[in-house]
Amino acid sequence: MSETILKLDKVTKVYPNGTVANRDINMEFEKGEIHSVVGENGAGKSTLMKMIFGIEKPSSGTITYKGEETHFNSSMDAIHVGIGMVHQHFMLIPSFSIVDNIILGEEPTKGVFIDTKEAAKRCQELSDKYDFELDVTAKVSTLSVAKRQKVEILKTLYRNAELIILDEPTSVLTPQETEKLFDQLRFFKEQGHTIIFISHKLEEVKQISDKISVIRNGVSKGTYLNSELTMEQLTNLIIGRDLDNDMDEYKTHEDFHNEKALEVKGLHMERNGKPVLNNVSFAVKCGEILGVAGVEGNGQQELVKCITGLEETKYTGEIYICGKTVGDMNIRGRRDIGMAYIPEDRMVDGVAGNLPISDNLISTYYTREDINGKVFMDSKAIAKVSDNLIKTFAVKTKNADTTVNSLSGGNVQKVVVAREYNTNSKFMIAEQPTHGIDIGSAEFVHHKLIEMRNAGAGILLVSADLNEVVDLSDRIIVMFNGKIAGYFPDANNVNESDLGMYMLGAKRQSEEEIGGALND
Amino acid sequence: MLSSVISTLFTMRFIQAIIRMSTPILFAALGAFVAASTGIGNIAIESIMTFAALTGVLGSYLFNNAVVGVLFGLVIGILTALLITFFSMKLGADAFLIMIALNTFADSVAIFVLYQITGDKGTTASLTTPILYTWDIPIIKDIPILGEILSGQYVLTYLCWLIIIVLFIVIYKTPLGMRMRACGLNADAARTAGINVERLQVLSLILSGVFAALGGVYLSLNYLKIFSKGMVSGQGWMGVAANGIANGNYWSLVLSAVIFAVFRAVSIIFSSNSAFPTDLVGAIPYFSVFVILTVVSIVNYYRVKRGKVEEN
Repeated sequence: MSETILKLDKVTKVYPNGTVANRDINMEFEKGEIHSVVGENGAGKSTLMKMIFGIEKPSSGTITYKGEETHFNSSMDAIHVGIGMVHQHFMLIPSFSIVDNIILGEEPTKGVFIDTKEAAKRCQELSDKYDFELDVTAKVSTLSVAKRQKVEILKTLYRNAELIILDEPTSVLTPQETEKLFDQLRFFKEQGHTIIFISHKLEEVKQISDKISVIRNGVSKGTYLNSELTMEQLTNLIIGRDLDNDMDEYKTHEDFHNEKALEVKGLHMERNGKPVLNNVSFAVKCGEILGVAGVEGNGQQELVKCITGLEETKYTGEIYICGKTVGDMNIRGRRDIGMAYIPEDRMVDGVAGNLPISDNLISTYYTREDINGKVFMDSKAIAKVSDNLIKTFAVKTKNADTTVNSLSGGNVQKVVVAREYNTNSKFMIAEQPTHGIDIGSAEFVHHKLIEMRNAGAGILLVSADLNEVVDLSDRIIVMFNGKIAGYFPDANNVNESDLGMYMLGAKRQSEEEIGGALND
Repeated sequence: MLSSVISTLFTMRFIQAIIRMSTPILFAALGAFVAASTGIGNIAIESIMTFAALTGVLGSYLFNNAVVGVLFGLVIGILTALLITFFSMKLGADAFLIMIALNTFADSVAIFVLYQITGDKGTTASLTTPILYTWDIPIIKDIPILGEILSGQYVLTYLCWLIIIVLFIVIYKTPLGMRMRACGLNADAARTAGINVERLQVLSLILSGVFAALGGVYLSLNYLKIFSKGMVSGQGWMGVAANGIANGNYWSLVLSAVIFAVFRAVSIIFSSNSAFPTDLVGAIPYFSVFVILTVVSIVNYYRVKRGKVEEN
């Protein structure tokens, strides 16, 4: 009954620099199934897909498509036999119309000219057939991300792709858009298309897949029927051990005498005449994690900017870091009195991508005596510090001279966390510390945060991931509309749906209750 | 005095002069444009024009045939383009550095070759060279005013306008042109659509070399009728500047090139009148490039700032 469309046999990829991305991968994909390939960042999913799509060549092993061994020289060859790929970073030309983007490379012609009427007709028919609701004459630059993704999918369908690879397609979509995409993927399946779905969001993988293949460290950990696999088993396969959800057992409870790492009093900030922070007061004590929960855009970013001094923002109210008032101190000054910061956008604010890992590991404290010589930087000391950090934080790299850009997302984040950890600061802001990284790295980051907390640092954890806030925090505040809407003194005893009510503004505590955030 | 200068601005001869002077700048602009369409900044236009101007005259002299001279010029244009692609794409050198090198030594090499062949370091005046002719268009030449303007121009001027139209159709109406533009706008997208980006870039650079070479031979075989040192005098750069101003818009490209030619024509009229300091007047076309580029950048800056321009 079932018919194998794509078969990987002992596929191995070794890069010229010696990195083994894939080793002896065996996998079979059947016609008309939605088959997920999951694994941590840097596990080798992307490399594998590149080999299937002809962008990379396997070092050894064979790829068989529809019973014939493939020897693709470029993705053109893959496209010709009916393989399509929707890349994570869209391959579109914004100033071209949807039609032009779709037909590029396979243009219908009339004489020597492009047959624009025929092209538009074909594209519109295709869009209508799959219910994509696109006006194909529109320019791509005017489209939302979700629509751009549809254009990418149409590109593969226009080329009669039977096997469609989607690389992390949901990472740019809202939950509603993801639902819609899944409906479409199911429709493709009915039409006989085969879908390879790459993701590290396990809930989605469980929701959409018929089969799931797991890659760990470049090695295949088998293919399973979705229905026969529990979430726990899946996580276990991906990271090779059970995941701790409960961080509580790692917490120790030393007394830091109510010393305050951060104190914020009556913070108020306006933008365009509207308050984005409205009388926000709270404190982070040494040896605790204070979680800030909230739907994105309710003042959390502004709060972090006020505290870090990252943006010159006019605000009223007082901020004390380790007991010292910050006033209009610059970022350096704030760091000097004990602040560390894991920024939300690691590639923009967290690292200098073109510099080696070693430089990035010291960039926030390079003036420190032990690494800053009298005239020149002490390169030996830097090497020692960075080698140590790479080891303790298990950053997957050949050496400290590799540029950060060549690392996977999870490893970049480890570099950022390692650096901030090594500042030995008393106060840390962790802003979305595990956003978009794989579960193994995320767990590692969580453990390091707890470790810092146990050592007496006060941590302000700002996260859109509610599970993360609840699992890590000692106390929680919820922000809504620039205000603290709720305060929960014991994070172990909160009900998530209750938190949700405060996050959405359905509930609000009295001023007295909220006052506990500062005074407890 | 000033009035006599101004009165010449409104004569038929002035319009004819603009058409003559816009030809080399248009060729240069087309060369810059076609290379830029696939994402290559060809700043070697000036030097290719110099090489082609000289080899054109030499070819014409050796074979006693101006058309052979043009072919010589084209061959040197293509060879220079291939030289750039060989160093940048095969050997991995920085294309800009190669082009800067070409521009830096173009004039000196031309003078060296000139001296070896003619014993003269300034011009090819000592060589009797057949040149290209003007063309009187039948019927049109008898129409008053229009005939005076359109008819009787150099043959390469007509070729130039033909190329302007054909190139527009190729770039905007054919699959080849669409693929070339795709390479320039997002090479990765083009590549994943199965387009051989490098091949199209080589092709566009060769075309660029051909157009620049036509500009060069126009100067030496049509317009000035000899090769003289420094004769290109920044007209290649004006083409590059026109391309920068047009920012991918084909008809702005043509318009900008013509505007530069207008300033050149104005400067020549003023310099024929001894009342104005020649050096100052000679600077008009170059100064106009500077002013126009500045104004265009300022306008673009504010358009981008106000979010009126979408991403490319």
